[in-house]
Amino acid sequence: MMLICLLANILNAAENNERDGNTGNNEEVTFVRLSSDQYRNTIHDIFGESILVRGNGSSSGVREAGLMAVGGRRLTLSASEVESYELLALDIANQVLHPSRRRTLLHCAPQNEKTLDNECAAQFINTVGLHLFRRPLSKNEVDAYVEIARSATESLSDFFFGLQAALVGMMVSPDFLFRIERSVPNPESPSTRQLDTWSRASRLSFFLWDTTPSPALLEAARSGELMFDEGLNQQIERMMTSPRIEDGLRAFFADMLAFDRFDTLDIDSNLYPRFTKNVEDEAREQTLLTIADQLLNKKADYRDLFDSRQTFLTPALAALYGVPIPIMQELGGKVPWVPYEYPENHARVGLLSQVTFLSLFSHPGASSPTLRGKAVREHLLCQLIPPPPPDVDFSLVRDTDNPNFKTVRDRLTEHRNNPTCAGCHTLMDPIGLALEVFDASGVYRTTENGADIDTSGQWAGQNYADANELAALLKDDPTLTSCLVHRAYSYGTARASTPTEVQWLNTTHTQLRNEGVRWRELMHRISRNPDFYTVPESLIMEDE
Amino acid sequence: MNLQNRGTTINLRISAFLLLSGLISDMCSNPLFAADNIETRGYVISMVHTASYADEQTCPSGTNGSRPDVLIRRVMADGYNREEAIRIINNVRINGGRDDAGNIVGTAITIGGGAAPGGIQSWNGLDFNPANIPGALPDPNAFNAEGRFSFGLNLDGEVGLDSWEHPNTGERGIDNQMWRVLGCWDNYHVNKPVNPYNETIAWDTAVDAMPAWLISISGEDLNQDGEVTVAFDRALNIPLRDAYGSIMSGASFGLDTNPRSHNVFAGRIKGRVLTIEPGDFYIQGESQFYPHLRFTNTQLRFELKDDGSLEGHIGGYQPWRDYYHYLSVRGETDGMIDLIGIFYDLKRFADAAPDPATGENTAISSAYFIEAVPAFHVDGKGSLLAESVGAGPKFSGPAVSQYSNQQ
Repeated sequence: MMLICLLANILNAAENNERDGNTGNNEEVTFVRLSSDQYRNTIHDIFGESILVRGNGSSSGVREAGLMAVGGRRLTLSASEVESYELLALDIANQVLHPSRRRTLLHCAPQNEKTLDNECAAQFINTVGLHLFRRPLSKNEVDAYVEIARSATESLSDFFFGLQAALVGMMVSPDFLFRIERSVPNPESPSTRQLDTWSRASRLSFFLWDTTPSPALLEAARSGELMFDEGLNQQIERMMTSPRIEDGLRAFFADMLAFDRFDTLDIDSNLYPRFTKNVEDEAREQTLLTIADQLLNKKADYRDLFDSRQTFLTPALAALYGVPIPIMQELGGKVPWVPYEYPENHARVGLLSQVTFLSLFSHPGASSPTLRGKAVREHLLCQLIPPPPPDVDFSLVRDTDNPNFKTVRDRLTEHRNNPTCAGCHTLMDPIGLALEVFDASGVYRTTENGADIDTSGQWAGQNYADANELAALLKDDPTLTSCLVHRAYSYGTARASTPTEVQWLNTTHTQLRNEGVRWRELMHRISRNPDFYTVPESLIMEDE
Repeated sequence: MNLQNRGTTINLRISAFLLLSGLISDMCSNPLFAADNIETRGYVISMVHTASYADEQTCPSGTNGSRPDVLIRRVMADGYNREEAIRIINNVRINGGRDDAGNIVGTAITIGGGAAPGGIQSWNGLDFNPANIPGALPDPNAFNAEGRFSFGLNLDGEVGLDSWEHPNTGERGIDNQMWRVLGCWDNYHVNKPVNPYNETIAWDTAVDAMPAWLISISGEDLNQDGEVTVAFDRALNIPLRDAYGSIMSGASFGLDTNPRSHNVFAGRIKGRVLTIEPGDFYIQGESQFYPHLRFTNTQLRFELKDDGSLEGHIGGYQPWRDYYHYLSVRGETDGMIDLIGIFYDLKRFADAAPDPATGENTAISSAYFIEAVPAFHVDGKGSLLAESVGAGPKFSGPAVSQYSNQQ
């Protein structure tokens, strides 16, 4: 609790802080809270993989404009979250400054371990602070944290405890927990503002690698080269060729495909005994492995994700999918991931037939064509389906044992007789009905309550017989790729795009659609777009 | 289904599987596996235990009870009355097994644990575990199963005086002397859905660590009556569990290429019941209960259930010392039996394989309940050897597929 009190002091200190000359005239324009993955990645990158991040400081975020990343701008910290972050920071600081580790981070030794060594403390705070705050600390900030270290050292006559207190103070600071983006006037167009050099480093790093800027990127920021095309492009190239680009890809698709729903996923294992906790975890990884393999390793077109027969399976996933895989697992060994390719004309192809999508958009005890159709519309096509009116009678839809309406198609058809419901359900249900051969757990079936499942429907005026044919139609729909391009950009900026940006995105989408919608090329184009680092007028006005 | 076509050539970079080549080539040279019109269904054994059947005729004089009853009888055999025996046993952990006068009771309550060195306990002042030398103690003359019915198989084709009648099929001549040994121990004196406690616990524990036991059935149309080939094999991997804790069906198993556990029988399906021509059977296990299971003159009777599973009994003449070993390793406390009594009864009721030197029978007719669920069997090249055919729609591809080599 002592540190909670200290936090208030730090915040005051930060408010009164004068920035260094390097960031003069800077205006804070965006606060985006770190996601739990970004927090974990950051700690591991700064202090090493051996540091255990035991828990999440924050609750789940909010989704805005289809992305948690955009919703992150709206997030603040509640008192309980501050307390959680404090506990997390205490645990991490304790590990970081444990006698077995402190030498790797502390490049000085106190003259007396029972008293504060000002110089050594300031050196530690400067070094660690640069990485935690993703910018250099001002003299006032350093002094404030040295003061925290002094107070704690004197209380317990332990220099390293003093450093722990200072480290915790930095880790519960908004400068760490939020990506605070700052702007400077654009020298080429003084009426507009652009991200400063440190904010550019952060934006690039979290966009491409989902973590805090690396020492090399911070050095590029310090030199000012990120403010110019040549230096910026060099860093983009370096980052794009790193294997860590996969971390960024995974983070983006976990956001876009609504993996936050895994936090509350509750498929009833009484009804779906193959859906174990292991399967749930492995399903999540299957989807990310498949996307990463297709888009990065195979340089496939994004559209291919929807009809690709290639994926990766574990023994438990293979059992659920009802397919055989070679056994590579040694007794007691790690769960193996086996590259697997479904045969031609197999009913299960593409992302929509994976357990992740099928279970995330189902009810605990039943599949839901409506949820699945809504998910395709909202998460993959960037369309908005309004919520149902408050007085809708869902009793028939939920009556899965009704002998007169054996299949969910029968029940939804009846439900759509209500004109209030028909408008939206007509948009959602046909998509989901094509996936009805997969139950809530993703297991294949051909009947429901003894009645044959009809998977046919229409997409944009064209008939399809099953999920495979629907996937082919979706793949050809420009809305699918346009959504990816727009979402990726908003994911990077953590905001909705401006009209100028939308125009650029539409042009880019058209070009990519002709050339191939490839992930690396999309990331390249976005990262190199000057508007990506320009602060929209609306944000400046918000700030004012 | 064409198994040759199913075995699409696929590069598989799994060095461990290179070891499989011997067995696989052996299997593929089998005419059955090479035929075009043969389908092969795979299974993984999900439960094994001694076939138990109990009714009011089984133990007309009563059962032998369980572990506490064994101890009480032993103490009483040393001259104490029942109340004294119970008091001594109840206080054994407090006073080291002394009577009211402070005398150590000795043999009676010290027999326990297992036959392993860890089970050594003092006996009349000596470090000695009678479970290792059961013949050193007198036969406690435990009750044996009687009556008319027992599960099992007619191993000798005859209806003898000591044979049983199958409680479900009415078949006579069932040879299962093992049941006479075990049937009056409370642990075994049960009917489905209750399983023999000791073996069920042992199996349930072992199955998560033991390479699975597999069954495959091959024939032209397994939905029709006809000739088939039945194979038992050991897998390279352990079974998966579903959310109920049951063995998950539809999982994939690699075949262990060691021919030691490879058993092939000619068989037939008639009326959804699978039987085989008698033969020898051996399968290696790793469980604490079944380090291996072996029979001569092996027979089986499995029902092909509508949900795709198999259920029934396998049996034959089993070396009776194998079974004594199973029980003695787990000890009397886990087994809830009197090892000395079991030893004498196994020896007494052994009915096959006489020792040429002594003339004593070394094997006993026995039967085990088997349950198996559908499973894929694959070889080291990623080819499918047996299809998992469950109650749901058939959905698997024609072959296991790898594309890692294309990366």
